[in-house]
Amino acid sequence: MNKIKITCTVNGEAVCREVYPNQRLLDFLREELGLTSVKEGCGEGECGACTVIFNGEPVTSCCMLAGQAEGADIVTLEGLSKNGEMDKIQKAFIEVGAVQCGFCTPGMVLTAKALLDKNPHPTMDEIKLAMSGNLCRCTGYAKIHQAVAKAAAE
Amino acid sequence: MREFDFYSPTSVPEALELLRKYKDSNAIVAGGTDIVIELNERKHTPKVVIDIKRLKELEYIRFEDGLVKIGALTSHAAIAADPRIAERTRVLHTACAEVGSPQIRNLGTIGGNLSTASVAGDGVAAMVTLDASVVLRSKDGERTMKLVDFLNGEGYDKRNALQSDELMTEVFFTEPDAHTATAFYKLAKRKSLAISVIGGGMRCSVDDAGVVTAISLRGGCLGRYPLQFKAAEEHVLGKKLSLELLRETLPMMHDLVLDLNRNRPWSVFYKKESVQGVFNKLFVDILAQLNMEVGA
Repeated sequence: MNKIKITCTVNGEAVCREVYPNQRLLDFLREELGLTSVKEGCGEGECGACTVIFNGEPVTSCCMLAGQAEGADIVTLEGLSKNGEMDKIQKAFIEVGAVQCGFCTPGMVLTAKALLDKNPHPTMDEIKLAMSGNLCRCTGYAKIHQAVAKAAAE
Repeated sequence: MREFDFYSPTSVPEALELLRKYKDSNAIVAGGTDIVIELNERKHTPKVVIDIKRLKELEYIRFEDGLVKIGALTSHAAIAADPRIAERTRVLHTACAEVGSPQIRNLGTIGGNLSTASVAGDGVAAMVTLDASVVLRSKDGERTMKLVDFLNGEGYDKRNALQSDELMTEVFFTEPDAHTATAFYKLAKRKSLAISVIGGGMRCSVDDAGVVTAISLRGGCLGRYPLQFKAAEEHVLGKKLSLELLRETLPMMHDLVLDLNRNRPWSVFYKKESVQGVFNKLFVDILAQLNMEVGA
């Protein structure tokens, strides 16, 4: 098996790695780059815990191969805080109490971020549709949707 | 994941060259929503993986000569977001807008959906309802075939007609005109992230007098390929369209589902009933689109 070279942008920084191709984008981000906010839930694209923002769109990183990241612009939760200051979506999640065990939260926050980047003032229905690919087994969804609406209102 | 060599061609000819060279053991990855999971779970262990995500020339939606031509790499999200498809080809719009989840719709491609040819593929049911055709290319050239023939084909993995050195490049269908309505209804266990239990597709054309000139009634997840309700179609064809007429076909659908699923008794009881509910919704939707009286 030949190694492949991956050059991409992760959280605003240029990354270049030579890796074996038999790993998912999820594994590349966690194992090679140490970005452990990216969670593996189901590993089948069903739960959204591994969501990252890939060229502006939320995608499940368990469904992509590492090699497909070549040339891409990827954002994980680690890329959201600036100078130690949390993003408004993260703050809203805390303030509303939209976090319980927290395992789904990175994916939730990134999906919300991708939504608000494109549509800064979504309706509640648009929020619900955008967040429909992220499962939470603790809180239910009311507070999560409220948190996204709160972040949008700020 | 087992070991494999990875290639990322940037043009179709380059991809076809690689497919030919590694004909014996390859996997194509586009959106990856099915194949990456199979690779990860070692259900599929090819020696070479060819990533075609970079073939931007296969990402398009074109309206030409009365046809809608969609590049195989077009994502479900892109199809769902196309305003002309939303307006004129409701069956495809709805199917693509309800597949998986927003994340899956961003990744998953129509070519992947048709090539994987899952029993529960919503894109498959919608495209069969539209009587779509697919274009397959290899180093030797190009062939075009009806999607139904593609699905029934005996290719390298028996799933469909695709050979191991072939690539699906396009799917196309006749764009529904002003006298044609189409609709899709997905019955599933929940609204999002659900695999269809039944994916019903309907296409119906009428003349100025309201007489049915063409009809397609298809049910996804009811057989290996989207099931054609032929007796129901024949019953309606050439008659004046009404809700009563359409509802007369429900027992025929019920009987066909019962008949074909005799060896799967656990799903028959549910499906024979629910198929009627699904098509009842489609009938009302189609009549409303054609501005016809829905009645009682």
